Amino acid sequence: MSIYLPIAEMSVNIFILFGMGAAVGFLSGMFGVGGGFLMTPLLIFYNIPPAVAVATEANQIVASSFSGALAHFRKGTVDVKLGTMLLIGGLIGSTLGVYIFSSLRSAGQLDLIISILYVVFLGSIGTLMTIESLNAIRKSKQDNPPVKRKSGHDSWIHALPFKVKFRKSKLYLSIIPILVLGMLVGILAAIMGVGGGFIMVPAMIYLLRVPTNVVIGTSLFQIIFVTGYTTIIQSATNQTVDVVLALILMVGGVIGAQFGAAAGHKLKGEQLRALLGLLVLGVCIRLGYDLVVTPTELFNMIGTAEQGGH
Amino acid sequence: MRNFLNSFLLAFYATFTIISISHAESLQMGISVDQVPVDSSFDGAEIVVFGSIEGAEQAALFRGEYDVVIRVEGAPEDVIIRKKERIGGIWVNNESETYEAVPSFYSILSARPLNLISNSIELGPVSLGIENLGKNIPVEGEKTLIMNPGDFSDALRRLRIEQDLFSEIPGTLKQLSPSLFRARLEIPANVPIGTHKVTAYLFRNGEILNTNESSFRIEKVGFERWIYNLAHENGLLYGIMAVLLAIFTGWAANAIFRKS
Repeated sequence: MSIYLPIAEMSVNIFILFGMGAAVGFLSGMFGVGGGFLMTPLLIFYNIPPAVAVATEANQIVASSFSGALAHFRKGTVDVKLGTMLLIGGLIGSTLGVYIFSSLRSAGQLDLIISILYVVFLGSIGTLMTIESLNAIRKSKQDNPPVKRKSGHDSWIHALPFKVKFRKSKLYLSIIPILVLGMLVGILAAIMGVGGGFIMVPAMIYLLRVPTNVVIGTSLFQIIFVTGYTTIIQSATNQTVDVVLALILMVGGVIGAQFGAAAGHKLKGEQLRALLGLLVLGVCIRLGYDLVVTPTELFNMIGTAEQGGH
Repeated sequence: MRNFLNSFLLAFYATFTIISISHAESLQMGISVDQVPVDSSFDGAEIVVFGSIEGAEQAALFRGEYDVVIRVEGAPEDVIIRKKERIGGIWVNNESETYEAVPSFYSILSARPLNLISNSIELGPVSLGIENLGKNIPVEGEKTLIMNPGDFSDALRRLRIEQDLFSEIPGTLKQLSPSLFRARLEIPANVPIGTHKVTAYLFRNGEILNTNESSFRIEKVGFERWIYNLAHENGLLYGIMAVLLAIFTGWAANAIFRKS
């Protein structure tokens, strides 16, 4: 059954999109990630214009992160104070990101920059994650006790001024790295059409040394606001959010996430991270291949009507 | 002298009659719809253009000297064409050219290939045929026109043809009787929204005798129209509604799956 998307202005198969939403939702439920980094490239492979894919995906992530954050709120694993600090940086970053997005689009370099950002971030995070989890699997086989989290007072980040207490995370930390991290992730979220959890989570664990139990909940908490804000700004400046497309993906996504979460419980943490690392690397290689291999069509075009400049 | 005058008048009348006959041929045309609605189930459409050749010379009609060519044209727009080049190992959009007043949709309906009906001297000035696109636009200043030969304009035509937005397929027009014709236009799902101009040309032995013009609109209707208008007229409100919809979906999913 086909459905006409009012903003993307194309006819698409509703079942394929629903299936894509469910499959990515399954993986995100299983691995505890937002899935934006998988969904946006998938939408682009499915010929949705990149500008629409990125902006619409931000809208979808609002739904999945809200659903996930509710569960964490009940468990009490959200550091609202830390989340709000990250969020302030995130909103500034998102505003900058949408502005960069618009100027790249009019310069005709948006698709390229999106691809390069994906390759760089997915490549480095996928590699780190795979190596780290493979080491963890090897260590658990050798039956060694797990390495204790460092106390965190030895890092240069903890020498910065403007320190604030975060009771829930048991941290006494400068607001500078928090705002900067929030801002960088906000910029990437707006340009790449992701929530940024796959950058935010490792950065919170390894750079800020936030305890692992509050990391996911806090990250989801701030992602709701940053992606919600991005959706509104993209709608107001680029008119590229397609709610019909977003709704199909949302419904598929939240259903898939439930089954994914159930499947995730059957696997060990390091096994999950190794699988996720390989998946991330797979997407990276696919996107990188397209950048390097000689394209079959060297030309591309854009009409003024498609640019929104009537 | 009288004789001369008579023969002159005779010649004059004869000429006048011939001229008046050749000017009497005209085209009548109708379109099956004046509006093509685009709703959520829109997946392209087919419309029919029909009509008749009026006041034709019967013998010539039966000899097949007349041809009808129909052109369907969407609103003109500026098109930027970019060419990828390998820079530092990766393929990057580099050179670009801008073409002005390119029709957003362009379709030629005819019984025979255009080059069998007439030649570019006749077709060019009226911009008939994909090859002749833009030849009717006067060159002003630095305007880059689609008629300029080169890789970029070839690419523009090729890409538009691949997207089904440009077409020129012989056999799309059928002669039902020597004077009646019917043409089918396949409208692709990615057709641009707006008014599309339909112009019919009547040819005799390769020369344009007469034309007739009409139009139809492709319009979003109902929900699609509402969404599109809201997004473009009040993007801020649209964005807020999109976020509220997402929050509701997230909440609903959480509520439903928590119980089960």
